[in-house]
Amino acid sequence: MINFFYFASPSTFYRLAGRLSPWFFALAAILGVAGLYLGLLVAPTDAQQGEVYRVIFIHVPAAWMSMFLYFVMACYGAVSLTFNTRLAAMMARALAPTGAMFTFVALWTGAFWGRPTWGTYWANDARMISELILLFLYFGFMALANAFEDPRRGDRAAALLALIGLVNLPIIYFSVAWWNTLHQGSSVNFRGTSMHRTMLAAMLLMALSFWMYSIGTALTRVRAVILERERRTHWVRELAAPLP
Amino acid sequence: MSHAFYLWMSYGATAVAVAAEIVLLRMRRAQALARVEEEKDLEAQD
Repeated sequence: MINFFYFASPSTFYRLAGRLSPWFFALAAILGVAGLYLGLLVAPTDAQQGEVYRVIFIHVPAAWMSMFLYFVMACYGAVSLTFNTRLAAMMARALAPTGAMFTFVALWTGAFWGRPTWGTYWANDARMISELILLFLYFGFMALANAFEDPRRGDRAAALLALIGLVNLPIIYFSVAWWNTLHQGSSVNFRGTSMHRTMLAAMLLMALSFWMYSIGTALTRVRAVILERERRTHWVRELAAPLP
Repeated sequence: MSHAFYLWMSYGATAVAVAAEIVLLRMRRAQALARVEEEKDLEAQD
């Protein structure tokens, strides 16, 4: 049985993350190439939107990841608040920039999809505004985490904000059902999909690629966070090059 | 504006965002290691 407490030690996790992250980046690249091949070269042209619909292959996976990463970040925040674990707080910090990046990509690609299809880059629509709030929540989390001299205080304040911000996730997801929005409804849900099989396969491959990329970046970033936070410990000193 | 413009702006920006994140990650790790080295050197001088 895996001893999770053993891996909760920053020194052990630092080495484990270093070994695992290249594999996740490799998987992300393979899945990304497959997804782009299917999405850009194999998937048929949309009857109504023409070629511009192909933005879906990054827009939807980026939007999914923006919400999923926030949820995972808040879970790590809850664990760090409840059990006072250092590594959980470091993981929450490591996830935030990637989550913000995917939120930005979802908003940006949505704007460049909206212009040719709706005639506007931006509308004060419930889905778009709640996604923009998500971006501000990520910024707030990062700012709050770094606002204190004592990083543990920053961890606690940021974790609290992450937990409060969780309320925004169902608002984003159900906004198209709760309000009359310009944004279309979900193309994929738990009941099924109305998409062509090739389009769906390309979108799922891209979502998996973004997921693997997120794990790779989180593991790489948490190594830097561990180095920053544990720099006065003996094991980190040993990692650095020996003195001449 | 042709559809190609909107597609390139979307895919291009995503590629730039991913590349920027990877560059920033490498820089952060290098800075963290440099800081460990710096503190180690300072302690050795004391």
